[in-house]
Amino acid sequence: MFKKILIANRGEIAVRIIRACNEMGIQTVAVYSEVDKNALHTQMADEAICIGPAKSKDSYLNMQNILSATVLTGAEAIHPGYGFLSENSKFAQMCEECNIKYIGPSSQNIDNMGNKLKAREIMINAGVPVVPGSDGAIVSEADALKAAEKIGYPVMIKASAGGGGRGIRVVSTVEELASAFNTAKAEAKNSFGDDTMYMEKFIEEPRHIEFQILADEHGNVIHLGERDCSIQRRNQKVIEEAPGAAMTEELRKQMGEVAVKAAKSINYKNAGTIEFLLDKYGKYYFMEMNTRIQVEHPITEMITGVDLLKAQIRIASGKVLTYKQEDIKIQGHAIECRINAENPSKNFMPCPGVIKTLHIPGGYGVRVDSAAYQGYKIPPTYDSMIGKLIVHGKDRDEAICKMRRALGEFIIEGVDTNIDFQFKIVNNSNFIKGNFDTSFISKEFENL
Amino acid sequence: MAFILSVINCSVGMFLERGNHMFEFKRIFQKSKYIEVKSVGNDGEKKPNIPSGMWVKCETCGKILYNKDLEESIMTCDNCRTHFRIGCHERINYTIDKGTFIEYDEFMISDNPIDFEGYTDKLQNLRDKTLLNEAVITGEGKINGQDTIIVVMDSTFMMGSMGCVVGEKITRAIEKATDNRKPIIIFTASGGARMQEGIFSLMQMAKTSAAIARHNEKGNLYITVLTDPTTGGVTASFAMLGDIILAEPNALIGFAGKRVIEQTIKQQLPEGFQRAEFLLEKGFIDKVVDRKDMKDTLTQILKIHS
Repeated sequence: MFKKILIANRGEIAVRIIRACNEMGIQTVAVYSEVDKNALHTQMADEAICIGPAKSKDSYLNMQNILSATVLTGAEAIHPGYGFLSENSKFAQMCEECNIKYIGPSSQNIDNMGNKLKAREIMINAGVPVVPGSDGAIVSEADALKAAEKIGYPVMIKASAGGGGRGIRVVSTVEELASAFNTAKAEAKNSFGDDTMYMEKFIEEPRHIEFQILADEHGNVIHLGERDCSIQRRNQKVIEEAPGAAMTEELRKQMGEVAVKAAKSINYKNAGTIEFLLDKYGKYYFMEMNTRIQVEHPITEMITGVDLLKAQIRIASGKVLTYKQEDIKIQGHAIECRINAENPSKNFMPCPGVIKTLHIPGGYGVRVDSAAYQGYKIPPTYDSMIGKLIVHGKDRDEAICKMRRALGEFIIEGVDTNIDFQFKIVNNSNFIKGNFDTSFISKEFENL
Repeated sequence: MAFILSVINCSVGMFLERGNHMFEFKRIFQKSKYIEVKSVGNDGEKKPNIPSGMWVKCETCGKILYNKDLEESIMTCDNCRTHFRIGCHERINYTIDKGTFIEYDEFMISDNPIDFEGYTDKLQNLRDKTLLNEAVITGEGKINGQDTIIVVMDSTFMMGSMGCVVGEKITRAIEKATDNRKPIIIFTASGGARMQEGIFSLMQMAKTSAAIARHNEKGNLYITVLTDPTTGGVTASFAMLGDIILAEPNALIGFAGKRVIEQTIKQQLPEGFQRAEFLLEKGFIDKVVDRKDMKDTLTQILKIHS
């Protein structure tokens, strides 16, 4: 087991990792940028090293400084969290070269799944259902036209190196195709430096269902059920819940087995998530794989009782998975609301500032994962997330009641937040009925 | 690690008293102020450490570069465009189409014509260390499908200095190009004539220049690519005789050394003196080409002259 781990991240996930390490008796090293000197993760860890100025590229993305910090403090492993360097195969490889254990999958896994086109190909070969699409990359407008004819409109043009919803265009008619193809290609070149494009059938009104995977280094792979993350705004998740409202035992078993098969086919190690699109006819398609721990991991923890961070650390230290598939039982229902410092009425503009008043909700079945404290100054340089509010009830109705109650108790003053917006969502009749897909927010909250 | 987090209960509508008692967060978690640089006992297992050679510092701008990134950028610093020196084999791999290179005179090695003391041993040591037989590799190959004779000098072998073998190999390559009506491209990197071979080295200047003259008379193409550093007898002979003279950015190109010139003329030399860009400005070379564009540029020139 590791004696010391360095956390290459900040904010609530850094705090989450530090907590898991504390419980396991592992010493922690935090890295921080100049503006994060008084951040919670910096204060909580056993040791802390400043790795650069505020800008992410000079600090949390600064691979040399982070590696130097690891060697200097004698940490044996690095946990990359999510975002930042967590899906950077080059960084994972550098860790391997320096004999530092990277708490996550291998750099080969990250590479394979990071390239969306390659990931698709791998899944097709593994017999995993994928969204019907083009045979490989689309180079010219003529190719695009041919592919769209074959797939059938509406189609979606996607960037192979893409992420964060960029480099994507939906095309419903042949007239729009050429211009959509060219603008998406240009956007991809700008955002990712790679304009390799491919095409998929546009699945209308799908649900976003993702399965949590845990794989140890001895070939054991299990899934821990699904999460429904359809409540999104501009491809950013707003609310997540587990288990999925529209899932059945049968579908869960099927999709779970496919997810495990997918992970096994690439010799995946450690924690990961397989994302599917579930259409209104109950057909599911592989969309992509996230090769890291995710923001919404707490809801899976609440329904299965498995501490995913501790599992990650144990797997990385070479231990065999203590759970078998039959040990994973889903109990109750969990919902997570992301609480951000943003103003919904001003197009969700981020609002950094000082948290003058903070009252965190509590009580039975309420969990808050946050790095905020009263008096904390939220820096403008990073994402606007203040924390995650998670509730767990015996069923979906109780979970919704708890969330309503908890949101009401959550007081944050000094910065604008999306708490009221979340409140509206959990009181929305379609949400309560479980009638939603990824178009939910844009439909129900048209003016936003 | 015990800690107390005081939660201030307030129902909606109550105000917190601000002012003198600002919530002091820093002292809540007890932590040592200083970084503890202690190594963790790994029971003899390999400790995390950064292997030497994994990171390289750019001498010009100080940026620390990852060795794999450096290889990908063909040994150039992505921050300041500084071109690191590369060996002749690497140069050939970047320039010549894979699998098309055929080497000439591979086993030609130097003798000691004027019995210079220690020269024979020095040659043997260098051959063992660099795995090169001499300071130049010559041969033929294709650049994007076009035939060419190619000569690449290597500054790691006795500073790329030109002695009998270097002169002979280059001359033979030029003559092969002349006889077969092929273009010849010479990548230069040299400290000048090889002192240890005395007048024989000096004669190589004449020999190579004469071969170039004959090549030129027959209307054949000769492209020079000046790389860092190109000085002395090489500059004063075949290097500056190209029909088209290219250079890598910021390459040192000159004849006499900077200090010698300064002492002779007793004047301060201008900024950028003897660098490729300076020579371009003064009209001595035709173009400065980045390493990443070199193969394409050579391809274009060969196409135009084919």
